[in-house]
Amino acid sequence: MEKIKDIIKLIHSLVPENRRIRIMNVCGSHEHTIAFSGMRSLMPNNLEIIPGPGCPVCVCPESDIINAINLSRKDDVILVTYGDMLRVPTQKGSIRAEGKNFRMITSPFEAMNIAKSNPDKKTVFFSIGFETTTAPTAAILEMGIPENLFILSSHRLTPTIMEILVKDAEIGIDGFIAPGHVSAIVGSNAWNVFSEKYGIPTVVAGFEAENLLFGIMEILQQLKNGNVQTGNVYKGVVRPEGNVQAQKIMAKFFEAADVNWRGIGHIPGSGLELRAKYADKDARKVFRLEEIKEAKIPGCICGTIILGKAYPSACKLFKKACTPKTPKGPCMVSMEGACNIWYKA
Amino acid sequence: MKKIEIGHGSGGRLTRELIERLFLKYLRSEELKPLEDAAYINLRDQNIAITTDSYVVRPLFFPGGNIGKLAICGTVNDLLVSGAMPGYLAIGFILEEGFPLDSLEDILKSIKETAQYAGVSIVTGDTKVVEKYKCDGVYINTTGVGEVIKPLPVSNVSPGDAVIITGTVGDHGMAVALSRDEFDIKAAVESDCAALNELLMPIMEIDGLKWMRDPTRGGVATALADLSESTGFGIEIFEDKVPVREDVRFISDMLGYDPLYLANEGKAILIASRESADRIVAILKKHPLGHNAEVIGNISAKFRKVKLRTKIGGERLLDMLEEDMLPRIC
Ligand code: SF4
Repeated sequence: MEKIKDIIKLIHSLVPENRRIRIMNVCGSHEHTIAFSGMRSLMPNNLEIIPGPGCPVCVCPESDIINAINLSRKDDVILVTYGDMLRVPTQKGSIRAEGKNFRMITSPFEAMNIAKSNPDKKTVFFSIGFETTTAPTAAILEMGIPENLFILSSHRLTPTIMEILVKDAEIGIDGFIAPGHVSAIVGSNAWNVFSEKYGIPTVVAGFEAENLLFGIMEILQQLKNGNVQTGNVYKGVVRPEGNVQAQKIMAKFFEAADVNWRGIGHIPGSGLELRAKYADKDARKVFRLEEIKEAKIPGCICGTIILGKAYPSACKLFKKACTPKTPKGPCMVSMEGACNIWYKA
Repeated sequence: MKKIEIGHGSGGRLTRELIERLFLKYLRSEELKPLEDAAYINLRDQNIAITTDSYVVRPLFFPGGNIGKLAICGTVNDLLVSGAMPGYLAIGFILEEGFPLDSLEDILKSIKETAQYAGVSIVTGDTKVVEKYKCDGVYINTTGVGEVIKPLPVSNVSPGDAVIITGTVGDHGMAVALSRDEFDIKAAVESDCAALNELLMPIMEIDGLKWMRDPTRGGVATALADLSESTGFGIEIFEDKVPVREDVRFISDMLGYDPLYLANEGKAILIASRESADRIVAILKKHPLGHNAEVIGNISAKFRKVKLRTKIGGERLLDMLEEDMLPRIC
């Protein structure tokens, strides 16, 4: 406790009086700790900690979800995906409400088992998420998946979206707290671009409040002394090079693709699709899925929140028409969504 | 057309609004108005407390209890926290056509055992059966009366008082949540469902005891938000003092729940004068059900609402939630 007080004191002394500093976190678990520990109430007034794109469920395109609903309605298909995805609203409803044959899984290995025990059906694994969930999906592909298992990949790349945010002057990011789990896979070196090219300190942090405070302190120190570089206060878990083996198999099966981010739009090279070589495993190709035009959710500002341009409390529907039980937008559904976290904290 | 929403049953903001705007509009009376867990009535100069509660928990059987045990504990505890010694219960069943008699017998066995332990007699009852799918197995209503030992109106509460919790928070909510099929998590969390006679009766003799509440639906946070609203005082809670089971904390973090908002069925919040607080905690700790009792905060006139002082010293508002994350928890 004394140590934490000291860090907070130091943070106060490091923030210059005459300017606003904005530090962004890009991880739902970080935002959870920040919100639940009341960390913002301890920060100087001119230091903002903003939640960024830390929620893969929130940015998963509506088109993919509607395609997933439609697939689950085919008699010979079982659609499997992570729990939060089942409840995400679309213009055609959610998978849970409108889908037919769907199952919730917690890991890709369950998708394998479901496919194996239903040999007369086609199992489609709607695989979403950042690098943390891409790695296990690549792992089952490497092990060899059953003939009747197909992948609907809606994976997204964290560094790419972060770079888009940096270039957006409206947001004005002064520092990044880099996500602990993603960093464990891509390595802290993956963030070097931010210090080297944009002069933005980026520090990898873990999930305890104390560790996050350390991260914030290091960002402020770098800003003060001008010695900007990638920092890592989560050294026990994150290595500079990351998990090289995981990176290798991810690169073997997936390649970067131009994709949509829900509520945000088209971002070149920011998603992952299966390489052409594995087209026979790619649900998009096998089932000839087509892009469905995204419908705006009236009143929902999820996209703006994900980009760090607004806090959930700025949404008129927040805590009123939109609650975790009656989510209007994806950010209220997922546990990693800023609206969901702010509702509960 | 406005309709009943599931959140109207949460015990939180929507429940309060429904009661204030609709129920009180037609049913207002001196006795009902305080909206406490039990009402004080006077029968031939005998001070009596009366309370009623309906139980719709899903699933009917969960680790640490079942709907029958819950129906006794809940009503007994409502009387106890109102400073009354539970005496008699009336019980009503709504059964669904097709419900297995064996399960009903299991429920009745627990009702018998729990009533015995709590020292209450079940003196009247009612049974109705509705067609299949018109209810979910069994719903139970219990009404309890008890003799008032020490009236504990909310007007007793004053700034400077201590907030005490009799044990770990969130056990019931977590146990019931995990026993639903929605999560694929195996953990040995049991409901804390228990009648609190032995724990609370000795406390009632202590002068400094001012008010009690059993934090069921909506948990400790909602009960305190309610208290703050009815007294107009602020309440400060210290996160590092609130006892939470290790596994409940871990799974809560994983699922994004806050144990302070999870239901309890064998715990009480006590408001007591600062001077008496340590003595009360010492007495509570002597009983197995009060082993983890702790002073967790205090009442203040300096601010309004309920503030949580987090482990790192941050501040977070504990507001009444618009709706419960886990409907039908009791
Ligand atoms: S509160 Fe609901 S409607 Fe508003 S931005 Fe968040 S998810 Fe969208």
